[in-house]
Amino acid sequence: MSDVPNLDPQQLRSWLNRAAQHDAAAFRLLYDATSAKLFGFALRILGKRELAEEVLQESFVAIWHNAGTYQSHLAAPMTWMTTIVRNKAFDLLRRSDVATEIDGDPFDAAIMDALHDPAATPIEALELSRDAAALAYCMSVLDGAHRQVLGLAFFHDLSHSEVAQQMALPIGTVKTWIRRSLDKLKTCLTKGARP
Amino acid sequence: MNIRDNAPLREKLAAEYVLGTLKGGARRRFESYMHNDAALRLLTVEWQERLAPMAEFAPAVQPSQQVWAGIERRLNLRPARTGWLASLNFWRGLGIASTAVAALLAVVISTRVLDQPQLDYVATLTDDKAHTALVLTGDTQHKALTVRLVGNAPVASDKTLQLWAVPKQGNPRSLGLLADKGEVRLALGSNAIGDDVALLAVSLEPKGGSPDPNGPTGPILYKGAWVRVM
Repeated sequence: MSDVPNLDPQQLRSWLNRAAQHDAAAFRLLYDATSAKLFGFALRILGKRELAEEVLQESFVAIWHNAGTYQSHLAAPMTWMTTIVRNKAFDLLRRSDVATEIDGDPFDAAIMDALHDPAATPIEALELSRDAAALAYCMSVLDGAHRQVLGLAFFHDLSHSEVAQQMALPIGTVKTWIRRSLDKLKTCLTKGARP
Repeated sequence: MNIRDNAPLREKLAAEYVLGTLKGGARRRFESYMHNDAALRLLTVEWQERLAPMAEFAPAVQPSQQVWAGIERRLNLRPARTGWLASLNFWRGLGIASTAVAALLAVVISTRVLDQPQLDYVATLTDDKAHTALVLTGDTQHKALTVRLVGNAPVASDKTLQLWAVPKQGNPRSLGLLADKGEVRLALGSNAIGDDVALLAVSLEPKGGSPDPNGPTGPILYKGAWVRVM
């Protein structure tokens, strides 16, 4: 992850604004800065390079066309772009009936280690953006199984009952875990908790 | 159900909408609520801000270069060119700088730049198929070297292009790092333009340039020679 270029929100916002005015050079810079992150994310959802590349291409075409509607006062640029990638990836899954492999751990091993035991693998070592590091910290405080439930839902577009099936849990338990985990995350992130 | 006055429910639905567990009819109903409820939209954006960074928990992976090529094709994006260098389009087809071409370039340059910096050196660097990839212009008076990429030469994000002056004898001398598109201005010193410079070359190097101070470590992608035009 060390070669991930500058994801400074100010910079990304400025490229997005210029792309909205059909500045192809700014759009290319935006692509260079974010494509590896977004591709990694699409790959995590879809599992296959060719599908993830299709989604990345679709997403950037959408980003170009919709840059003018991006409201910088509402969402951070990476939030806006990852939401587009996630929607496109889930669309593709629904459309194509591709079976993706859902492994037990929805998170990268390094992230998982850091979440399990922040003392052994400091979250700061993961080179995450500030928002992601804060979220990682807040998720590390959750119970491991609760965290897994959130990850399955987020990365694999699963419903309550699908998560329940995947984890062999009663659906009521899954619903409760998700509700409590989301509450805890909100409280933790609002506090601006730091590792 | 009226959700407008039910703050905990609004919060729960917004969070689960973003997480993705709100499905089917409930999801569509939530979207129709959002349509007429700006506060609910804001609540949803706040949850996006909280949860979307989970995307970063997946490691970054470099996509293949075809992805950008496909985007560029679908959106019909062309590299922007400005100023008199737009005439480089004209040079692109000329291929390798033979003596005849060099003479022609000299005419093009000297007639186009009367009011411009004193561009007294020019070099076209070509790839192994003799397609022009870069045009260098040297202005000895202002000691300025401008390198312009003709078209796109996409470079992986962990690589960079490095420009070298290769002397008749001794080690190549680095003239600087190039962007993978557009224009780069470098200092023009005697190390770049001296009489002993036999060749200009561009190599593909790790980000930050060749780790070897004595020369390139990666493949030579483009080469060419200076032509004195004035």
